[in-house]
Amino acid sequence: MNFLQGTLDILILTALSRGPQHGYDVVEWIRTTTDGTLQIEDGALYTSLHRMEQRGWLESVWKTSPKGRRAKYYRLTAEGRRQLRSGERSWTQFAGAVTKVFAADRRTS
Amino acid sequence: MKDVDVELAFHFAETVDSLVAQGWTEADARLEAERRFGDRRRHHRKIDSIDRAIGRRRRLARLVQGVRLNARDAVRALRASPLVSIVAIVSLALGVGANTAIFSILNALLWQSLPVKEPHRLALMMPDADRTAWTGPQWELMQNHSALVEGTLAFANARFNLSKGGQTDLVDGLYASGSFFEVLGVGTVIGRPFSSQDDAPGGGPDGPVALIGYRFWQQRYRGTPKVIGETLVLDRVPFTIVGVTPPGFDGPERGRTFDIAVPLRAEPLIRRSGSYLAERGTWWLTLLARLKPDQTIEQAAAALNGLRPQIREATMPEGLRPANQERYLRAPFAVRPASTGTSALRRRYTEPLQVMLAGVGLVLLIACANIANLLLARVPARRRELTIRMALGASRVSLARQLLIEGLLLSGIGAGLGLLVSRLGSRVLVRQLSTYTSNVALDVPLDWRVLGFTIALAVFVTIVFSAGPALRAVRVAPSEALKADGRGLVGDRGMGLTQALLTVQVAVSVVLLVAAGLFVGTFVSLARRDAGFDRQAVLVATVNATRSPVAPAARPALYARLRETAAALPGVSSAAVSAVTPTSGDWAFSAHVPSARSVSEDDRHTFVNIVTPDWFKTYGTRLIVGRDFTPQDTAAAPRVAIVNEAFVRHFIGGQPATGLMIEYRDGSRSTVPPTQIVAVVQDGIYRSLREQVPPVMYLPLSQRPNDPFPSVSLSVRSTAGNPAALIHSLSAAMGEIDADLTFTFRSLQTQLDATLTHERILAMVSGFFGALALLLAACGLYGVTAYAVSRRRTEIGLRLALGAKPASILRMILGRVAAVVLAGIAIGALVSTWLAGYVRTLLFGLTPHDPLLLLGAGVVLLLVGLLAGFVPARRAALIPPWAATRTL
Repeated sequence: MNFLQGTLDILILTALSRGPQHGYDVVEWIRTTTDGTLQIEDGALYTSLHRMEQRGWLESVWKTSPKGRRAKYYRLTAEGRRQLRSGERSWTQFAGAVTKVFAADRRTS
Repeated sequence: MKDVDVELAFHFAETVDSLVAQGWTEADARLEAERRFGDRRRHHRKIDSIDRAIGRRRRLARLVQGVRLNARDAVRALRASPLVSIVAIVSLALGVGANTAIFSILNALLWQSLPVKEPHRLALMMPDADRTAWTGPQWELMQNHSALVEGTLAFANARFNLSKGGQTDLVDGLYASGSFFEVLGVGTVIGRPFSSQDDAPGGGPDGPVALIGYRFWQQRYRGTPKVIGETLVLDRVPFTIVGVTPPGFDGPERGRTFDIAVPLRAEPLIRRSGSYLAERGTWWLTLLARLKPDQTIEQAAAALNGLRPQIREATMPEGLRPANQERYLRAPFAVRPASTGTSALRRRYTEPLQVMLAGVGLVLLIACANIANLLLARVPARRRELTIRMALGASRVSLARQLLIEGLLLSGIGAGLGLLVSRLGSRVLVRQLSTYTSNVALDVPLDWRVLGFTIALAVFVTIVFSAGPALRAVRVAPSEALKADGRGLVGDRGMGLTQALLTVQVAVSVVLLVAAGLFVGTFVSLARRDAGFDRQAVLVATVNATRSPVAPAARPALYARLRETAAALPGVSSAAVSAVTPTSGDWAFSAHVPSARSVSEDDRHTFVNIVTPDWFKTYGTRLIVGRDFTPQDTAAAPRVAIVNEAFVRHFIGGQPATGLMIEYRDGSRSTVPPTQIVAVVQDGIYRSLREQVPPVMYLPLSQRPNDPFPSVSLSVRSTAGNPAALIHSLSAAMGEIDADLTFTFRSLQTQLDATLTHERILAMVSGFFGALALLLAACGLYGVTAYAVSRRRTEIGLRLALGAKPASILRMILGRVAAVVLAGIAIGALVSTWLAGYVRTLLFGLTPHDPLLLLGAGVVLLLVGLLAGFVPARRAALIPPWAATRTL
């Protein structure tokens, strides 16, 4: 659960690292970049956004969207950037470790 | 609509739009959006709770930030008008300090627990409902039954003499039973406490032992551990020091302390033939019990009363009349909680202290009214500032908070200083309680009660003095304040609250002045009371002959020699010996004069003093008729007596008193040979300055060979100057007669003053605060009048320009002041008349409703008020008429 939650946070932080976005943009960006591989409920993404806002990783501001609707825009804070960097690092290490395990397994079999 | 709803609505709208754009039907797109979102209610609930937490934190942060800004502005505001701030802080410091000082003394006296193990299990045992003292034999029996409770102990305060002869060197002593330290659960810093083994007649296995108090150890032995095993000579009896008691432990009696504690059964070693320990008629021991863990006071009382018949039977005092014997047997023992220890001070000082607390409470109220007025006066001046703040977006709440924080800052600083003032003040007051006979040592701790009291006071005063200004400031209408800043024709509208506060202040000042008048008047009339003798010129020495080898029967001769030697010293005009001296004790017989008035058996009470020739001369008491005692009035000569005027009034009436015969019963002794009155003397204070002079009969010492007084008083009259200067030569001369006599000196004045301790304290405190109240009232009147004048500058200028005379302006302003002061005086007079009834018992020589006193207080306040108003009023009258043109 924590592992998944952490992954979700990193995905959202990555989405926001390209600039301020509202929740729908984040959701869409994650869906399209992963080709819909990750079966994440949109609601979970919103919960995660708010939790990170509470922790001070994100800050939000209300703006009017291009289509004239009121939307809440999120932006990374300095702390959010730091969290993103350290999250990426540990995720890469983790993925590398898993890859090594698979490679070793392939050699032995 | 909540933020989260808006946000999610946006999400669904966008999702549906994009799906429709991809070719979905609207209905399918909606279903798909819901599917992708997941359990909407669950997610909504989660997000909402996170949002609420965020909101809470933001509000808190805003508040903290706001308060920080307010505090910064408050500091600026206080520094902007330093005079107002200093006056406010000083009056608060004095007000809070005085309240805290008195409260902390009350706290130490009434509520502070003893520094012993589980003080709530201590109980005071009483031989009946009123008395707390027991006799030695009662304790001996009682301690055999300690198993009824967890433990019992007995103690008595005493004074021990460290000198080996001549002038005494007295220290505070304590007789404590062997169980004392164990039952209290008090140990020693070094050495050991004493135990039941040490509490044996003549001393235990280590001989007579003593414990010394921590302070005494530090002062006399500089805290050296080598003190253990050293010898301490008390009243010429050697004791071995076995331990030092912990700091802060002053024994179970509040207000008393001990330098040296010895086992109870060592008392006969020290008092020798005058020992109380085996006396059935001397009530001198205080008994405490430690209850068993679950035992209630009632259970302990029931258990002790089970022993009562056997203890009463076995300890019946000798010589009781049958009615009293019956009463002695019947009176049930009582038990009271004693977690705060026992205290004689408590009974004597609780009432005066409560009166003082009420008085200083009023002073604080005046200080508050003053500060409120000063702050109120600043409000209009600050309206500009506050209005601009408001225009810049500050909320009314924030403005009110700002003023409240300014108030808190003032009272915080004031209360902090007040705490310092109180430490000093309570020490000064406690020192006043000590007299030459009893050393009052009351540790006044700064505990949570005192701190809580001070903080509560500070908060209370802040609310009292900031509420008015805050309310007024918040009512500011933004348009109004920018316009006129003290300009325009304001008259004195809007001064209602200020004047009400001033009126209250004047009223409270009247009450305090009346109180000061009553207590100072009481003290002065007691101190100046015609005592019937000269108090300035007489030195009194208590002579103790217990240690002298002279046989008791030869003591009258020894005392006569002392008198002759003393009278012959240079600087001494006369000397005399007596059994008692004024206010130092009493002794009473039952007497009557059969040939004069018949007086019923119950009414034959007369006080007695046994004196040598020249006693009246020494004291400066006039002989109205007859002769003084002479050396010829020996035991073999006819019995003679001298009586005072009160005796004549009570027992004789109009006829000449000299030559009449008195019959009297002398304590337990049955009959006395007929005694003839040879003189009548002027009435003189006998027992107390506060009471009417009672009938007194004086008998010559030389006709009482069977009275082996172990201790008498030698009184010496000096030819000129301070009698205390005679101490040195007297004690040298006395030492030559008998090196084993001991002497304790004090002047007669000191002896009398010691009986006026609480009157003096009340007079001191009430006088000080009466003066302070007056000063504060003057400050308040001056400040408010000056402010009003500055506000009405334009109007006054206009009046003058239109032809008003300066004198009429002066009258107009002073008329205002006079109205406020007179209203205050009227209210104050009513309140003090009502309150004065409550202090009736504390007064002497004047009635609580002395009209002169009320009038005096009123006149003083009116004068002070007009004086305070005159300065600004004169300034108003001197306003040049063109002031109007300048500012309109």
